[in-house]
Amino acid sequence: MTFSLRSCSHSAHNASALTPDLCHHGNTRAVSQCMGNKMNGSVGPMRVLVTGGSGLVGRAIERVVKEESGEREEEEWIFLSSKDANLMSAEETRAVFERHRPTHVIHLAAMVGGLFRNMRQNLDFWRNNVFINDNVLQAAHDFDVVKVVSCLSTCIFPDKTTYPIDESMIHNGPPHETNFGYAYAKRMIDVQNRALFQQYGRRYTAVIPTNVFGPHDNYNIEDGHVLPGLIHKTYLAKKEGTPLQVWGSGRALRQFIYSLDLARLFLWVLREYDEVEPIILSVGEEDELSIKFAADAVVEALGFEGDVIYDTSKADGQFKKTASNAKLRKYLPDFKFTPFRAAIKETCDWFVANYDSARK
Amino acid sequence: MKIWPPSEPSLQETDFNCGDTGEQEMTFSLRSCSHSAHNASALTPDLCHHGNTRAVSQCMGNKMDGSVGPMRVLVTGGSGLVGRAIERVVKEEGGGREGETWIFLSSKETNLVSAEETRAAFERHRPTHVIHLAAMVGGLYRNMRQNLDFWRNNLHINDNVLHTSQEFGVVKVVSCLSTCVFPDNTTYPLDETMMHNGVPHESNYGYAYAKRMIDVHNRALFQQYGLKYTAVIPTNMFGPHDNYNIEDGHVMPGLIHKTYLAKKEGTPLQVWGSGRALRQFIYSLDLARLFLWVLREYDEVEPIILSVGEEDELTVKDAVDAVVEAFRFEGKVIYDTSKSDGQIKKTASNAKLRKYLPDFKFTPFKQAILETCDWFAANFDSARK
Repeated sequence: MTFSLRSCSHSAHNASALTPDLCHHGNTRAVSQCMGNKMNGSVGPMRVLVTGGSGLVGRAIERVVKEESGEREEEEWIFLSSKDANLMSAEETRAVFERHRPTHVIHLAAMVGGLFRNMRQNLDFWRNNVFINDNVLQAAHDFDVVKVVSCLSTCIFPDKTTYPIDESMIHNGPPHETNFGYAYAKRMIDVQNRALFQQYGRRYTAVIPTNVFGPHDNYNIEDGHVLPGLIHKTYLAKKEGTPLQVWGSGRALRQFIYSLDLARLFLWVLREYDEVEPIILSVGEEDELSIKFAADAVVEALGFEGDVIYDTSKADGQFKKTASNAKLRKYLPDFKFTPFRAAIKETCDWFVANYDSARK
Repeated sequence: MKIWPPSEPSLQETDFNCGDTGEQEMTFSLRSCSHSAHNASALTPDLCHHGNTRAVSQCMGNKMDGSVGPMRVLVTGGSGLVGRAIERVVKEEGGGREGETWIFLSSKETNLVSAEETRAAFERHRPTHVIHLAAMVGGLYRNMRQNLDFWRNNLHINDNVLHTSQEFGVVKVVSCLSTCVFPDNTTYPLDETMMHNGVPHESNYGYAYAKRMIDVHNRALFQQYGLKYTAVIPTNMFGPHDNYNIEDGHVMPGLIHKTYLAKKEGTPLQVWGSGRALRQFIYSLDLARLFLWVLREYDEVEPIILSVGEEDELTVKDAVDAVVEAFRFEGKVIYDTSKSDGQIKKTASNAKLRKYLPDFKFTPFKQAILETCDWFAANFDSARK
């Protein structure tokens, strides 16, 4: 079903901006089945471009696609990293689309950072992410990509809000002051998706994960997020025979989602989820866990037997940021998340086996 | 004081370049500048656009210490409603000061959607200050159909102007927002703290978010680099040089055009809606005077609403009556209540403005309407419509 560029009978391989009724070869919709682009929206043989392909979520998707029959026959999956292209450049982004001619895009690439870097560089987080997102979404539109699934986060929601948060609440107030640059850039993905739908009928969409963890994370203790930070600290505490110092009281509550589960859901969203409004991907409210619970699971997984000290002089951050997964459950009532302890064990085992090369 | 584009044919384009040594001793021409490497690429915060330390950034009159020395002010959107009003205040009312250069840019010269063209304009004019009015604007129906274009084009215009300003060491940029970008579901009166508190109206969210992101960009520039770029939020503006297109325009210029035609053709004046909707109207000349005050004196990053007070809110019928009187229209006035009123009120508070300028006098409404209608009648053929 896939046609190579050489055998394509269409005239003029011109990748400039399309009008809505022409495929990227400048031919009518009737022959746009070239490259597997099905303008009628059905998901034929796909060429999926994954931006941010070497990150936590990208690697999980790669594993699910390769090892769990996530990939279907005649599909092609391309995992892009920042080494391949600087997506802040419109020219480099377009070159990627010209080279790979995707029919679908999973857009994970972003400038991300820990709390302190965000606080100091709101301009860079705003501009760089706006450019990355505009370049990817516009190139996708120009190259007639059928669907783009982008990645938001519960951390971009309004700071002052009621709980649980749901998909309709993203724009209802300003985000937290510390990362407003990053937060607004992510929110504008949803604005651009809605505008692409209103003006061109494109059904580009986005997912909103809660706290993600798994192999191939960024385990940097200052700059990283709570679970990978805990894993790295516990590993070092065990190795050096020191106590494990956990920042905060341990009472803050979080919903954690294993990257492999997130990847499986991402594939479902790519293939089946038809809305433009984003969807929260998370375990349910009933599976909210305390930081202490997470720390206990990591301690158990790594076989750490030393003291665990909770440094209550450090901030807990937000006490809870409970998100509702009711929309997900409406679509997939039977989806089974990997049990937390098993997921932690797999992640810790990976970290130990790959300590030298892990990002930290 | 110099004004671009020159109305006097004797002035050359080069008179406006930094190379004009006839200007104040504070400005250095590119030729005489002793700085090495005229490289206008991205700056680190401590270098002026010549790649030299801040100590010598007085080149071009850029005072990094924030004081307002001899200014070169670039006005984007210079040929529009507000731009023309600023030009008039600068030229005819002493709004501009000696030694200053004012450059009024229009889309004919520069497409600000393009980063390269924006840089070229900044390289040519080397502003120390910017009044940023340029935008893709449209009436209700065009907005509703083209939210993507309104979002993207305005995002690119705004990023190009703000980022290039930063790179070229511009001391201050004053951008232009609007009460129409505020949240749709809200309490009244609106004030400056409420702009991001909810989603804008569905019909123009592309335009609204692009404007809101000017404020986000300003705050990020301040947080990361200490730059005090800011913005103003006018309510309903009117005046000469507006867009008087009846389908695509706004309420006041639309009324003026319709009344002019009704009088000329001897037909009734059809006003859409009940006439009961309430608005605060600000005359473009008053807005221009306030813009200059913001440019020179207003030191906050948070935007400021520029409007008459809540007590001066008028009904659309009040506005119709004033236009009818200004044109001496004697025919029938019909209110077509089958047409929507739009929002019944969108009252904005001007308390912050009044705190700074308790004595500022707005032009009396009827007088401002008369001046505007007289201008329209005298310039009907060339007016935008």
